[in-house]
Amino acid sequence: MNAASWFCLGLPLAATVAITLAGTRVSRRGAAYLSTLTTAGAFVAAIVVFVKLLDQSPKHRGALTTSWTWLSAGKYHFGLTLLNDQLSVMMMLIVTGVGSLIIAYSIGYMDGEDEERRFFAYMSLFVFSMLLLVQTANLLLLLAGWGMVGLSSYLLIGFYQERASAIAAAKKAFVMNAFGDATMAIALFLLIEHTGHLDFHGAFANAPVGGTVATLIALGLLGGAVAKSAQFPLHTWLPDAMEGPTPVSALIHAATMVTAGVYLIVRTHPLFENAPHIEDLAAGLGAGTLLMAGLIALVQTDIKRVIAYSTMSQIGYMFVGAAGGAYANGMFHLMTHAFFKALLFLAAGIIIHALTGEQDIRRMGGLGRRMPHTRTAFLIGSLALVGIPPFAGFFSKDSIIAALLNRGTFGVILAFCMLIGAFLTGVYTFRLYFIVFHGDESDFAREHLHKPHGRLEGPFSMVSTVTVLAGLSVVGGFVQFAPFWHPLSDWLAPIAKPFAEASNKQELVASVCAVVFGIAGIAVAHSLYVAKSSTLPKALGILKHKFYFDEIYDWVFYKPAVLLAQGLGRFFERPVVAGSIREVTVGFGEGSTAVGRVQNGLVRSYALALASGVAVLAVVFLVTR
Amino acid sequence: MNAWLTTILIFLPVAGALAIWLLPLPRHWAGSLATLVSLVEVGFWILSVDRFDFGRSTLQFEQRQTWFRDLGVSYHVGQFGFSLWLVGLTTVVGAASVAYAWWAGRDRARAYFGLMLFLTGAVVGVFTAQDLLVFYAFFEAMLIPLYVLIGVWGGAGRLAATLKFVVYTVAGSLLMLAAIVVYGLQQGTFDLTKLDQSSNKWLFLGFAVAFAVKAPLFPFHGWLPDAYREAPPEVAAMLSGVVSKAAAYGFLRIAITKFPGPTHDFRILILVLASIGLVYGSLLAFRAPDIRGVIAYSSLGQMGLITLGVFAANDLGFDGAVLQMVNHGLISASLFLLAAMIERRAATGELSLLGGFARGRPALATILMTTGVIALAVPLSTAFAGEFLILAGLFQHFWAYAVVGAAAIVLAAMYMLRLISAVLHERVGPAVSEAALDLRAGELAVVVPLVLILLGLSAWPNAISGHSFGVASADAAIKSTLVETPGGANELALASPLDWHVGAGTNACAAVGDKFLNAHPDLLGGTHVMRCPGGRFLRLQIHGSGGLARSVVYGWAAG
Repeated sequence: MNAASWFCLGLPLAATVAITLAGTRVSRRGAAYLSTLTTAGAFVAAIVVFVKLLDQSPKHRGALTTSWTWLSAGKYHFGLTLLNDQLSVMMMLIVTGVGSLIIAYSIGYMDGEDEERRFFAYMSLFVFSMLLLVQTANLLLLLAGWGMVGLSSYLLIGFYQERASAIAAAKKAFVMNAFGDATMAIALFLLIEHTGHLDFHGAFANAPVGGTVATLIALGLLGGAVAKSAQFPLHTWLPDAMEGPTPVSALIHAATMVTAGVYLIVRTHPLFENAPHIEDLAAGLGAGTLLMAGLIALVQTDIKRVIAYSTMSQIGYMFVGAAGGAYANGMFHLMTHAFFKALLFLAAGIIIHALTGEQDIRRMGGLGRRMPHTRTAFLIGSLALVGIPPFAGFFSKDSIIAALLNRGTFGVILAFCMLIGAFLTGVYTFRLYFIVFHGDESDFAREHLHKPHGRLEGPFSMVSTVTVLAGLSVVGGFVQFAPFWHPLSDWLAPIAKPFAEASNKQELVASVCAVVFGIAGIAVAHSLYVAKSSTLPKALGILKHKFYFDEIYDWVFYKPAVLLAQGLGRFFERPVVAGSIREVTVGFGEGSTAVGRVQNGLVRSYALALASGVAVLAVVFLVTR
Repeated sequence: MNAWLTTILIFLPVAGALAIWLLPLPRHWAGSLATLVSLVEVGFWILSVDRFDFGRSTLQFEQRQTWFRDLGVSYHVGQFGFSLWLVGLTTVVGAASVAYAWWAGRDRARAYFGLMLFLTGAVVGVFTAQDLLVFYAFFEAMLIPLYVLIGVWGGAGRLAATLKFVVYTVAGSLLMLAAIVVYGLQQGTFDLTKLDQSSNKWLFLGFAVAFAVKAPLFPFHGWLPDAYREAPPEVAAMLSGVVSKAAAYGFLRIAITKFPGPTHDFRILILVLASIGLVYGSLLAFRAPDIRGVIAYSSLGQMGLITLGVFAANDLGFDGAVLQMVNHGLISASLFLLAAMIERRAATGELSLLGGFARGRPALATILMTTGVIALAVPLSTAFAGEFLILAGLFQHFWAYAVVGAAAIVLAAMYMLRLISAVLHERVGPAVSEAALDLRAGELAVVVPLVLILLGLSAWPNAISGHSFGVASADAAIKSTLVETPGGANELALASPLDWHVGAGTNACAAVGDKFLNAHPDLLGGTHVMRCPGGRFLRLQIHGSGGLARSVVYGWAAG
């Protein structure tokens, strides 16, 4: 089992190194295959770990394996240690499984790109980083994986490096995540100081319960989670991140990396449970984000940005679930979301591919007739997203709402927010679906739509992976159907014992309400965009500006930093630090003319001068002792 | 042989310098010979790593020769674990710098390469000298070739840059010399291993100011931007990568070890200045108009960070500072050499004129990107490991410094990403022609080893952080005087697990434990290991929530 988990971690890294070193000696296709096969290999290794874990009794799962001490100082030792437990193996399966599908899809999507090799090297680097994040057994290396996924995300968002907007988006994503890394690092400093440990076991066992320190630790971790998962108020980087190629959006900015915040909360749940206020704050931020993102998604016109806002909103659900104590439900939604959101992005990718890169939905329309399979796939993804039974989202999303009903008034408020969110999801998802696939074919589509792949609507690698994901979005939810069977909750219970569990009645109420709200949303979308019997209220104009967050951050953080730097340069560095010495040197220049006469070339007089200077200083030191 | 290793490491490059100056070599031969000598030097360093016993924290490869018996001056050299890493940094960066100069070609080659080798030898001397006067001699010997290298081979503004550099460093050096003379005469010896601690704050300041100028620390950095901009690039690499570390080393080896009282008194001042330097340098790096300006001001910030680690004065801070010294040395040397390679192709380092270098130049893009993200301390990089230890150590001292440091992490991301994309990405800059080539084999041979070492260290930063101060040694002289742990002079850090028995073992051992507990009534947690008479180890595991509720579990193990 231990060997398998190291293989799982090592294979994608090996692919990155091999592709980088081989350079042009490996063909573009070769790099693509290498990246796909190693990720698939990692998936097989993850299955091996999973099967071995199944053999063990639930109490004894959680083997540690250490390769070497990564870092140490004095009595503190931080090992490069992997943990094979129920939670990590679940994440490993999702990351490598969905990851290998998406990388396989990229074979077709990136075909003919100038720098395919670089793309696949980066993708493998990402898979490695994400596996490090979910496999490691201590918080220091978790933070390392945390930063590395941020780096791969930066590299891939900025993949089209001549495009200034892509580079700006990449930098924005990195810097906002660096902020999250910094708050997380501070939480780690607190843990070192107060527990002396950063490995999960030692840190959780010794962590302070209640009080300021516990609150600050949880707050620091939450800062990291919020930044990585693009939750309010550190969410503005995610829509811009859509500048990256579509498979990147599917893998990093939908299925895996952005959900790392949820994993972090579940993984470090003892630290969050020590600080109940922060748990409530996290759940509140999740609820706020899911409403805000749902509203903004209503008016976006870029197909990928709509899906990006929907991702943000769905992660809001997971945050509410994880922070509200329904750990397994949050993780369940993470899994189904990985299926159907990857499906939506990849289906959108087929459209963008067929329309030679166009992403504006106002220029699409009526594509359903020409691309019926893509339409079906997109419809499956949309229904799963809205949570219509029997598609995946229905099972996972509703169970979060139900669990929160059990958490007092605050829980009921959150559950209500989530129901409103379900309505909004219905509206924006089907707005997208109707605009893109219904109605008459747009002029743009008529001119530009090209299908050079015979009967298929895209290259085989793309169509086949979308089909697999569509299948998963249909059947994936049946893993768990709360009142009747719940293997996932049982599987995760030894790792994270939930403190919010719904009764059967609450499950029923939540499911019925959520489905009704979702269908109502779809109906509104139908009347707006198909029947065109009504229009969106004008007041929603503010949504086009995304609540002005970008502008506010620009004015509050970026501009002051630039001004401060320029001011320091102009009014301090140049006149004071550099200027003072200029006067000194000018003085020296004049003085040296006078002193020049002393320069008689006699070494003894130099030595005398030097010695007397030192002697004067020595006397000063002795006297003032 | 072992005893001679330090001396060989110091004088091999000096001998090489003399040979190049004296022999009438043809132009091209001077560079070849210098490169060869610096590679042999690296070989000797690798040999010394192989021979070094990392389990001991005592001075190794030690050699002592009495010089002036009356004054107590001796030629005394040797290496501790942390000096070994700094010597390694010097030899590696020295070799890369010499090799690059050879590849790029320099006028008056014999003089130039002789000076470069001499500089390498002098810096090794600074890191290994165990006698204050020998230390001073090497410190000065290190500065003189720098004056000449910048003043003769520098850019257009070299004279002004050199003058500033000279004025600053001479002022600092004179203060240090006076402090050394007084300190040594007072105690009748100049030997660092024999000198007693002193509480004279003027002597401390004499040393501290010299090191603060050399590092430099804010606000003593007036010489820095010009010197780094005007120096030949490989000299700038040596200056910021290696020579600046002599100052941090001085803080660690002399200022803190020998002046614990004044260190305590001036600690807040130094920590505040270093924090200001960290933020100030990062901010100015963010607005600097050229590549070298960014690297120069980021160096100012990084030296502030390293100083913070040294003056955190605990295990985390010390180990982190040593690791970060090596990291920053390799990073800034690589960056200056890369800057040189870019300037060679574009004839300018102005960021506004650059851009689009990545397209069609994969080697340059990959290497600059890799170095850049390590420089901004992306987690999992060795620079991250160093920063993390430093800030964790500072946090235990006072949280606010660590929060400032964490803010600087964000600033570092901002200035480094700006540099990377201004050079590599977006539109092709006016100074970048289609014909500009990717890195040549010679350039790759210089810079790739540096990057590979950084990547290797990223996989295993503990190579340095866990092997700098020795462990479980009978003579914990350096570490126990350095480390401000509750245990004071007796406390040991154990790496390998001992076979612990319950109880204190002997009465004498119990007495040591009792003394320790009485001395630290406020200690409420943690495990403390100390040595007691008879060579045994005593372990105290303290639990408790305050006052008399404290409970102690004794354990002993055979030494």
